[in-house]
Amino acid sequence: MVRLVARREVVERVRERSFLVSSAITVVIIVLVIGLSAVFGGEKGWDVGATDPAGLDVAQTAARVTAGTDSPVRVHRIAPRAARAQLEDGTLDAVVGRGSIRTKGKPDAQLVALLQAAHGSPSAPPPLRVETIEPVDSRADEEAGIAFLVGLLLYGQLLTYGFWVASGVVEEKASRVIEVILSAVRPRQLLTGKVLGLGLLALGHLCTIAIVGLVVGAAAGAIHLTGSLVGAAALAILWFVAGYAFYSCLFACAGALVPRQEELQSTTMPLTLLILVSFLVSFAVNEHPDGTLAHVTAFLPMTAPLTMPGRIITGDAPVWEVVASFAITLGAAAALIPLAARIYEGGVLRTGSAVKLRDAWRGGARADAARTSTPAG
Amino acid sequence: MFGFVGPNGAGKTTAMRIVLGVLAADAGRVRWRGADVDAAVRRRFGYMPEERGLYPKMRVGDQLTYLARLHGMAEGPARAAAGEWIDRLGLAERAGDRVEKLSLGNQQRVQLAAALVHAPDVLVLDEPFSGLDPVGVDVMSGVLAEQAARGVPVLFSSHQLELVERVCEAVAIVKDGRLVASGGVEALRERGARAQRLVRVELAGEPPAGWAAGVADARVVRPLARGALLELEAGADADGVLDAARRAGSVTHFSLERPSLAELFREAVAA
Repeated sequence: MVRLVARREVVERVRERSFLVSSAITVVIIVLVIGLSAVFGGEKGWDVGATDPAGLDVAQTAARVTAGTDSPVRVHRIAPRAARAQLEDGTLDAVVGRGSIRTKGKPDAQLVALLQAAHGSPSAPPPLRVETIEPVDSRADEEAGIAFLVGLLLYGQLLTYGFWVASGVVEEKASRVIEVILSAVRPRQLLTGKVLGLGLLALGHLCTIAIVGLVVGAAAGAIHLTGSLVGAAALAILWFVAGYAFYSCLFACAGALVPRQEELQSTTMPLTLLILVSFLVSFAVNEHPDGTLAHVTAFLPMTAPLTMPGRIITGDAPVWEVVASFAITLGAAAALIPLAARIYEGGVLRTGSAVKLRDAWRGGARADAARTSTPAG
Repeated sequence: MFGFVGPNGAGKTTAMRIVLGVLAADAGRVRWRGADVDAAVRRRFGYMPEERGLYPKMRVGDQLTYLARLHGMAEGPARAAAGEWIDRLGLAERAGDRVEKLSLGNQQRVQLAAALVHAPDVLVLDEPFSGLDPVGVDVMSGVLAEQAARGVPVLFSSHQLELVERVCEAVAIVKDGRLVASGGVEALRERGARAQRLVRVELAGEPPAGWAAGVADARVVRPLARGALLELEAGADADGVLDAARRAGSVTHFSLERPSLAELFREAVAA
């Protein structure tokens, strides 16, 4: 029964043109974002500034060695005073001179190795010191970018598929299909099938996005991105499952409480708002991944699916916290399912007007009692 | 075939939903073949709710197959049964269309097919005739009669009392959630409160105006083109009416009228 219901949800959605179009649009957006970030990664190779003859020597050696490769070193002779400004605005990747290599943030290990080798080639002088003009920050820009992307994806998917659960329930109520279906299937089976079917569809959608994203990332030559992208995709999928488990049941209740699509906004609003706020909070959390807000939201099932993936990607969440947060979200969802099922059962057959939450709750209890008192077999 | 009639809000739809297990009853039980009805038995029921009970965006053939499968049929037989009913009800050209694209009459045919596709043991239909054109009414009543002939009890609600009277063997009249009359249509008409008291009189030519109003022991229910329908007072006999009619002119028709279902209905509901 559940499989039949779930299969219908998937098949009917996939056959809708609007679904295919909107899915294609999200994939295109992802492709654009990843493609652009690869392009914005700048020209391949490095721009190295030299502030004195020794530095120039090193830089030119490095340039000779890398000439013709796909990551050449380009040499710029600059005044020592200009070094800091040009590093800060990103014109230069590194400045060599006065016996040191200076970079803006965490230095590129490959470039450092290259410059050290160039420095050491004629004789064997002491290695160049490596200095940075800003404190080394392990959170690279691209990690922040990926964290944002994953947050955006999760936000969009939870909202879209949550709303589809709700509007699917209302469609059945408004058309009175529910009466026909429920004479053959139990409310819980229908609810489970619907949530599972749409959930599988959402997962398929996410996987498509992930695969396309990885392929585009690789094709755009952002090889260094690909490793972290695989992890990010896996995270997005895992956290989507947890978040969807939590939110989809609530959305089903929201649908069961109203008779028509036009009134759906009133009951889904608190849920969409909750997701939106969690998404906004995730910005603040990404800004301060070790702040109080980050730790608190990790343990709230409604916010964790949106705030945690970012923290994990930027490497700021301790393992125990990740595990605990995931467990709490899943646990909350598991606890919520029977409650949601009861509200759903109480509300879903009242097709005339909007149902109060309390009445649905009581109605659900009665529906339960009516079934258990009927002899089985 | 069993007709289920009653004024709006009497509880017809509620009663049917309870039969199908869609609503829980406050009191009373649903029994079928001497036993309480459970989920397994209900899956052998066919149900047609009023407007619409179909997924508006689903294609006709897929929808019927899906509903048959929910009632326990395997994929192949479900598809075959859906196809048969689609052909039978003249929907073959629309099988691949979404339900919402069909006319209301055709949607109602799809609903009928949905109630029948799993070859149910019992048919329960809420207002199956409402909104159908005369051809649609004939198709619907033909299919229902055929099911009844095969031994499938058919219970339906309707406000079209002439139709109910024509096609049903038995009826129930409900009012305010209570059964006020029930039984065979003929028996109810015999037993009605006015069963032996309605007199139909027709006269040749032009009877003098107001002749019927002066009849002792009877009052005019409604004037007819060449006569009147009168109701006798309790305990009175028809002789007084006949005498008055003969004084008024030449009698061409004189009979005790049995009340129609519509009259029984008004009587039961007014009580």
